[in-house]
This record gives sequence, structure tokens and C-alpha cells, in this order.
Amino acid sequence: MEKYHITNNIRKLRFEHGEMTQKDLAEKAGVTRQTIIAMEQDKYSPSLELAFRIALIFGVPLEEVFSYEPEK
Amino acid sequence: MSYKQKSVVISLASHILVLAYFSIKLNQFYKAGPLVPSQVFRLWGVIIVLMILVNIVGNIIANIVSSVIQMARTNEVEDFVEDERDKVIELKSARNAYIVSSICVALSMLAFVLGQPALVMFNLLILSGIVGGIFEDISQLVMYRKGF
Repeated sequence: MEKYHITNNIRKLRFEHGEMTQKDLAEKAGVTRQTIIAMEQDKYSPSLELAFRIALIFGVPLEEVFSYEPEK
Repeated sequence: MSYKQKSVVISLASHILVLAYFSIKLNQFYKAGPLVPSQVFRLWGVIIVLMILVNIVGNIIANIVSSVIQMARTNEVEDFVEDERDKVIELKSARNAYIVSSICVALSMLAFVLGQPALVMFNLLILSGIVGGIFEDISQLVMYRKGF
């Protein structure tokens, strides 16, 4: 079976939203800044709830923030 | 480094200190002659109390010091938030610790089966607890650094 992993556009979306800082996003999402950093570096896949919360903060659908792609 | 990572480092340091103390004490017992049950069981109690005390005191001191440094550097209060990633890391590393501890416990039982005195088994049992704790801390640090 082909391996997949979750990637995200959080970094891009932050800059499109008035250069929102990692700290601001973390506070709005109710997580630590380290978790945001880990997600941006694809070192952590968030729970479904946190993924929806982040999409809601940016005001975009979930699939615009996260995508499920085959591993290279 | 987040508040959680700092407390893991403190926990690792305290586990290593306790392991060092345990090893030194055990070495003294062996040099003094055959193991005495009262001494071994007293050491058990001391080790358990030490593990709790050193961890608590270490964490309190580390939190105070890091809060003061954070306040002086950035004029912001240190964030003591624990989120879902911290909890997942904690659970995964606890699973790793249980695996290591279980293997060590099985080995201590094996030592008893192979004819070693019961006191050796008891020493290996407490050692398995400390080794499991160290492995848990290292697992957490690796997962914080490399992701999972």
C-alpha cells in the first residue's frame, strides 16, 4: 500500500492573513507555539478538531489548509 | 524550548541522579558483603521518595528560573499550556517506557529463575523502574525534536 502523509499551507495562510504570527495563531487555536511550528514543518499531524479550528480561524475550507498526499 | 520540554529535561536529570545514587549505594552494599534484606528494602523506599522529591523540587525551581528569565528577556509571562501534541507525546513515550520496564521486569524474574538470590531480583525490579523512567524522558525529547 502506498504511504501517504498530511501536508499543510499554514505558513502561506498566515502571511496572507496580515502576517499573523505563530504566537497569534497558537493563541487563537488554543495550542502552544511549538505545536504550530511542528505542524508547519510537517512534524505533527493535528487532530481533526484542531484542523477544523485552524481552517475556521483562516476562514477557508479544511482542504485549503490540509492535504493528504503520497510520500515522495 | 516549551515549558513541557523543560520539565522533561528536569525529569531526565532527576532520573539520572537517582540512578547514580542507586548504583553507588548498591556498589557499597556488594563491597560490604552479602546483601542484607533490611538495607535493600530501605534503599527501595529512599529511591521512591527521592524520585518524587527531586522531580517536584527540580520542576518548581526550573519553572521559577525560566519564568524570571522569560520575563526579563521578553517582558512576557511564561506559557504553561499543555496541548494535544504534548498529550500524544506523553502517551506514546509512556507506552515505550512500559515496554522497556516490562522487559526489565521479565529479565529480573529470569535472574531469579536462574538461581540468583531474591534480593538481586528486587534490586533489578527497582532498576527497571528507573530505566523505564529514563527511557520515557528520552522518548519524549526525541519526539519533541524530530516529530512523529
